[in-house]
Amino acid sequence: MDEKPLNILIADDNQSDRMILCAIVRKMGHLVCEAADGNEAIEQYIQQKPDIILLDVIMPNLNGQQAAKAIKALAGEDMVPIIFLTSLQEASDLATCLESGGDDFMSKPYNKIILQAKINAFSRMLKMHNTLQKQRDVIRENNDHMRHEQQVARAVYDNVAHSGCLDLPNIKHLLSPFSIFNGDVLLAARKPSGSIHILLGDFTGHGLPAAIGAMPLAEIFYGMTAKGFLMADILREINLKLKRILPVGYFCCTCMVNLSFRRKELEVWMGGLPDFGLYQQSTGTIERVKSSHLPLGVLSSQAFDAETKVFDFLPGDKFYMWSDGIIEARNADSELFGEDRLFSIFEHKDSDQYFDKIINDVNEFVGESGRDDDTTLLELSMVEESVIGKVDIDLSSGAITGPTNWSMTYTLRDNTLRSFNPLPVMLNILNDVPALRNLSGQLYTLMAELFSNALEHGVLGLSSELKNSAEGFSEYYRLRSDALKVLSDAFVKFEFDLRPTADGGKLTITVEDSGEGFDYSHISPDSDKNIAYCGRGIPLIYSLCDSLTYLEKGNKVKVCLSWQTQFEE
Amino acid sequence: MSHLNMAQIQELKDVMEEGFNDLVLTYLQDSDNKFKALKKAINANDCHQVAEVAHSLKGSSANICAEALSALFKKVEDAGRAQELDSVPYTFEKIQEEFTLVKAELQQLK
Repeated sequence: MDEKPLNILIADDNQSDRMILCAIVRKMGHLVCEAADGNEAIEQYIQQKPDIILLDVIMPNLNGQQAAKAIKALAGEDMVPIIFLTSLQEASDLATCLESGGDDFMSKPYNKIILQAKINAFSRMLKMHNTLQKQRDVIRENNDHMRHEQQVARAVYDNVAHSGCLDLPNIKHLLSPFSIFNGDVLLAARKPSGSIHILLGDFTGHGLPAAIGAMPLAEIFYGMTAKGFLMADILREINLKLKRILPVGYFCCTCMVNLSFRRKELEVWMGGLPDFGLYQQSTGTIERVKSSHLPLGVLSSQAFDAETKVFDFLPGDKFYMWSDGIIEARNADSELFGEDRLFSIFEHKDSDQYFDKIINDVNEFVGESGRDDDTTLLELSMVEESVIGKVDIDLSSGAITGPTNWSMTYTLRDNTLRSFNPLPVMLNILNDVPALRNLSGQLYTLMAELFSNALEHGVLGLSSELKNSAEGFSEYYRLRSDALKVLSDAFVKFEFDLRPTADGGKLTITVEDSGEGFDYSHISPDSDKNIAYCGRGIPLIYSLCDSLTYLEKGNKVKVCLSWQTQFEE
Repeated sequence: MSHLNMAQIQELKDVMEEGFNDLVLTYLQDSDNKFKALKKAINANDCHQVAEVAHSLKGSSANICAEALSALFKKVEDAGRAQELDSVPYTFEKIQEEFTLVKAELQQLK
């Protein structure tokens, strides 16, 4: 036998019978434990945890059937095959044995071959059972782990792809995801002009793979809407982004609308979605609005068409958007809810009931059979702008917001020069200018160079030539530390001046120090020729800004940095 | 004619190997004790006890290859279960005869 031996419990009140069984089982290479009645059998089961039990039916004290019941209850999910030993002949007696938890029986006189065959069969079954149990545990563990991860990811997702202003009084919506993550995305935001942008997206598939594309989509939608971009620009940007990040065959069926209160118009772009409904109160009719584009994420920027349709949208008019989960909802007979059923709802007179009626009708239709896709529904009504109030734009981000025209002077004197690093404070203020955020690494290096020049060469008058040798290096730092101790009437003054330009902005930094200055007449505006002035890091500074000018006796330097505004993605 | 199934006995010897003598000894001792218990139960007219002890002896006798003896115990067990012990004293006598012969044969085999 190449397998691990099993532990087999033999419970029989007849000692000679037990001896025969023990001999057969031991010959097979298994281990044996013995019991002489039902109580002992239970005791042995608890102590020895046998793999298989051979159990005599008729035993004193507690009989085999009672013992079997108790053992099966103790075993719980573990499999413990019980083979009843019996010379009972009646079919009804055998049936009682199986009912009490027996898995098989074997009659006296014991036959070696049959017993061995039974033990081998149960041994195989046990192995299979244990494998299954282990696999089940692994699956359960993995599943728990995955759900936990998804829930954490969901929290992040919800922060990014939040629902914006879907709670406005002129919007009714329903979002019911099929799993933790939703392949449908529904976003709403107000433009600075007060108009409302709404985007309904249905990504290929559902769950996490479908939802992940919604994050960049929402970022672009909210970011650009807040900055006042037009629908066409936003769609173009989203299309480009999705085209770049989504795998082939994955895309986002999208409808984006712009509701303009001033023009009383609804501008619609639709790609890859089923017909939507536009209800006009004046005529009491519903108009089907059709997709005229491919979904987002399919076409290249060159081929992408952002052309929109414009409809009159007067107070009382309503626009209905839905994902295909509504139309493709199935009943128990696998019939689809379908567009005909959906549009027939609008034959009803009371337009205030449409939204609830769609939900009810779909739920009734689906009945007990349950949903198998994400379902999303939205009703957008035209109202007077006063009903929803003024726009409240989040100014915390955006390329055209933030301080763009200001100046500031920051002077560091004696003690402060000795121990304080002014760079983080200055960088923080500059970072309030969104356009400078992308340049913060460059700005840091630039200001660090300017500050060390002003302090070490300007205020302290140290010569950079010392740094040419190793001894000189330590001498330099010794002198620097000594000179810092006796500072008086010293200063370094930073002056920042930020002004907007036609296409961006310009930052001028002037740094003045209390030192003697130096002869800068040989410095060439052509940066390559200034390598010799390594001590002042001039080539580096040149490379980081547009211009560098020394002024007066050389204790004042002016650098300029300009940029063109780029809208963030 | 042998009172033991000799083909089965050979198999049993193969299984038990050196344990065979022990088995015979255990069987004979155990049976002696149970005989006493059976006789007591018959005298006390305790049908349930008669059936239980006869059932046990029937099984162990079958396992030791004493088929005729096992069949006689089955008769007693059946009578006990039927609560009809009239025929039992007669069967019990036959059992004693048969057991003596079985015992002799078993002892020869050792």
